[in-house]
Amino acid sequence: MRPMRAWFVRLLGLFARERREQEFSAELEAHLQMHIDDGIRAGLSPGEARRQARIRLGGVEQVKESYRDRRGVPVIETMAQDLSYGFRTMRRSPGFTAAAVLTLGLGIGATTAVFTVVYAVLLRPLPYPQADRLVYIKENLASGLNFFSTPREYAAWQKQSQTMSQLGAYMWSRATLTGAGPAERVICGAVTASFLELLGAQPVIGRVFRPEEERAGGESVALISYSLWKRRFGGGAAALGRTLAVDGKNYTVIGVLPAGFRVPDRYSSLKERDYDVWVPFGFNPDAPVAQRNVIGTTAFVLLRAVGRMKPGIGRATAQAELDTILQPLVRKGRTKHVVLVDWHDEISGGVRQSLIFFLAAIGFVLLIACVNVANLLLSRAAAREREIAVRRALGAGRPRILRQLLTESVLLAVAGGAAGLALAYWGKDLLVAFLSRNLPVVQPIRLDLRVLGFTLGVALVTGLAFGLAPALQSSGVRLMDSLKESARSGVAGPSRYGLRNLLVVAEVALAMMVLIGAGLLFKSFLLMRGEKMGFQADHLLTASLHLAESNYPTPRDQSRFFQRAVEEIRGVPGVQWAGAVDDLPLGGFSFGGSAEIEGRAESVDVHAPAITPDYFRVMNIPLIAGRGFMDADRDGAPEVVLVNQSFARRAFPGENCLGKRIKSWNHKGEWLSIVGVVGDVRGGAEEEVKPEMYFSYLQSGRSFMYLVARTAGDPAGLAAAVRIRLAAVDKDQPPDDVMSMEQLQADDLAPRKAHMLLLVSFAALGLVLGAIGIYGVVSYSVSRRLHEIGVRIALGAHRGDVVSLVVGRGLLLVLLGELAGVAGALALNRVIATMVFHITTTDPLTYAGVALVWMLVGLAACYVPARRATRIDPMAALRCE
Amino acid sequence: MPEKADVWQGTLALMVLKTLEVIGPLHGYGIARRIEQTSGDLLSVNYGTLYPALLKLEQEGYISAEWGLSDNNRKARFYRLTAAGRKQLVKQAREWEQTTSILDRFLSAAKGTS
Repeated sequence: MRPMRAWFVRLLGLFARERREQEFSAELEAHLQMHIDDGIRAGLSPGEARRQARIRLGGVEQVKESYRDRRGVPVIETMAQDLSYGFRTMRRSPGFTAAAVLTLGLGIGATTAVFTVVYAVLLRPLPYPQADRLVYIKENLASGLNFFSTPREYAAWQKQSQTMSQLGAYMWSRATLTGAGPAERVICGAVTASFLELLGAQPVIGRVFRPEEERAGGESVALISYSLWKRRFGGGAAALGRTLAVDGKNYTVIGVLPAGFRVPDRYSSLKERDYDVWVPFGFNPDAPVAQRNVIGTTAFVLLRAVGRMKPGIGRATAQAELDTILQPLVRKGRTKHVVLVDWHDEISGGVRQSLIFFLAAIGFVLLIACVNVANLLLSRAAAREREIAVRRALGAGRPRILRQLLTESVLLAVAGGAAGLALAYWGKDLLVAFLSRNLPVVQPIRLDLRVLGFTLGVALVTGLAFGLAPALQSSGVRLMDSLKESARSGVAGPSRYGLRNLLVVAEVALAMMVLIGAGLLFKSFLLMRGEKMGFQADHLLTASLHLAESNYPTPRDQSRFFQRAVEEIRGVPGVQWAGAVDDLPLGGFSFGGSAEIEGRAESVDVHAPAITPDYFRVMNIPLIAGRGFMDADRDGAPEVVLVNQSFARRAFPGENCLGKRIKSWNHKGEWLSIVGVVGDVRGGAEEEVKPEMYFSYLQSGRSFMYLVARTAGDPAGLAAAVRIRLAAVDKDQPPDDVMSMEQLQADDLAPRKAHMLLLVSFAALGLVLGAIGIYGVVSYSVSRRLHEIGVRIALGAHRGDVVSLVVGRGLLLVLLGELAGVAGALALNRVIATMVFHITTTDPLTYAGVALVWMLVGLAACYVPARRATRIDPMAALRCE
Repeated sequence: MPEKADVWQGTLALMVLKTLEVIGPLHGYGIARRIEQTSGDLLSVNYGTLYPALLKLEQEGYISAEWGLSDNNRKARFYRLTAAGRKQLVKQAREWEQTTSILDRFLSAAKGTS
């Protein structure tokens, strides 16, 4: 009880300090007087009595100080003092403060921005009920991990599983939406009622699906997205009950999902994650995998299945159970096993590594910023040496000085943190825009309390980190030495230089590592962009188009549609050639299978696009041997195929392959003659060339094709005209995307480009900070050596000598830093390896280039102070002693 | 002397309380003199320790303070024992006696065996 009371009184003691202070002065004064009185009474002279009383009392100030410590709460008072002193110090040297706050702001801001993204994507739990128990069902096949399962498997799990409290499945496809406005291509999600329940979906108006609506043959109902609701129905309640046609099939709108509600999916692009229409998943578990699905097109019905484990059930247990249920369904001779992964891990799995990589990289930059500010503080500490010595002489203990210096540095860091927060606010949007194609964003990326906490934590830690070494050093100053030493005398002790030099070396090393990483990514990107695609990408317009099978049921109908579409596009002014293909390079997806070769046992893995006769001309893919397709290669004529060079090399090494016969997995089972060989084409910058066989589209209908047109001018300018022409063929069959091939190419490279630019900007930041650091140290050493340099000049040293003296020392530090940086980069080489393509992470040219860049930057940073040193007037330098 | 301050703190409080009990209200200087006299001038009270100790006792509510006049008409701050202080004195004195008697016994026993 008593201690509590005492603390309370002491807290009160923080107030009315002035009065208590005076009171105690009076008390001490009375004390002194009584002592003197006693002395006089004992026969001393008044002067002697006063002298003895004073000696006996000790230092009045010290007594007062210890009294003060007891009166209030010294920690709080000291902190308040330190803070106000710190603010004053900051105000007194605005240049230093601005430099430190800016440096820290850049470092902390960039770190916070990256952390904001990391937090939203990797750390923050999914915004669904009991998100930690959600698992995604994958299947491990002999060929690798599959991320989908079949309706039959899903139905079996649904029926038999005891470990799952709920299972849900979803899939999506592009579809044509008609009714209540013009025809429009949308993303249509097909989901089980349980899936929406799993996500805790609450409609804005209306209701979600009921389980009985899942079954095939149930009433056709649909949910629509918030944006579709606004777009097509003006956001009115009247939307409920309206009819929409999805690929020709009618659905009644029963509800609207909230804005921003989307299914997190790692395997689809950002655009593909915004479903506009949601229909219940009415599948027939016993139908074959390739079936006519709800949406109306024949497609592989591949489900993505998610489940919620019952409380207390471990993932291993659940996995074992689902696997047991799966086994009876696995075809003989094949292996297939269930792999359960945490859903959050699954969603963010594609970016986890690169995000952590960037967080680490930006952490390096933050370290560089810290080192810089530590150096700044060291320079200032040298100037404040006498101030600190005086304070110590006046009775401040070392811990007290240390605390004050640390308070100052933390104050700087917090100011830097505030600046950083402002930076992060914009920076994170920039970052998201940058990485948007790579991020599986489920929830908004924003600065929330946790991020604020992170920033504050980073600021405090950095404040302590960069403040500690300088504070330790200057608080340990030997009193007498620095009081005696005139402020600008001679050369400072070697240990001080040692620490500063070490900091510069560390800084250069860190910045080197980031720059090497950036260099590798940059070179990798250049190589990737320069990769020969095998076709001419400029002046090429593409449009992807799915036909609704309800309107175009037979291959013949489909073929007729696309032939007309190609003719229409060829008629657009400015179009030179037009064609179609169902598997466009850079188109985003492609199916492969195996091809048999007549008279051989082994088969070849191939891709098998179907093309119109002019396709190669449109794409400028060279014909190497034989002939291309002709209009005569149509239905009824003998079926023929073309192969690419890779196929020819792979299947018929050293032979002429013309006239040989092959059979493909997806084509009726007939032997087809090879009539020509064409050049290799790459499917994407990161992809290897694959063996391909081309079918004539006229001999094999497809419901999905890319239309391609070679244009005379800018292809993007013709997009509108192409859309109009296609609407003339069938206004209810709009294309999905009309894009130039260059745009597709840019999209293909975008993730790599974003990574590269991001790391390059980090490295640039590191370079600038590092250069400032070198400049600071060199110019500090020049200012401390004015006298010495003055003497040298007076004794006849040339300007060149002075420059090489100063620059030589600086460059030595840079060189040491570079060596350390190269060693560090080599040590981290496995980490960088995950981020680069086409080059090894020890690419000597990159290392040499980066080292050269740093040498030049170091040279520039040293040269400026060196030049200043040459302009020293020896007389002035000597006189200022 | 300042090095001994820590050792002093606990016993100093007890001495202050006892002094105030015996003499009645007294100022800081008087308390110091009285302690020094009682110890037969073996002790020297450090004022840098005394005043914080007085403040601590005051904060804990064992003593109270008010301004008054000293014998030779000087204005001084007089400390007075409170009821809580009296209880505390009894308690501390008992604890102290116990400690010293244990130490006594320990020291004499140790002497006996060596």
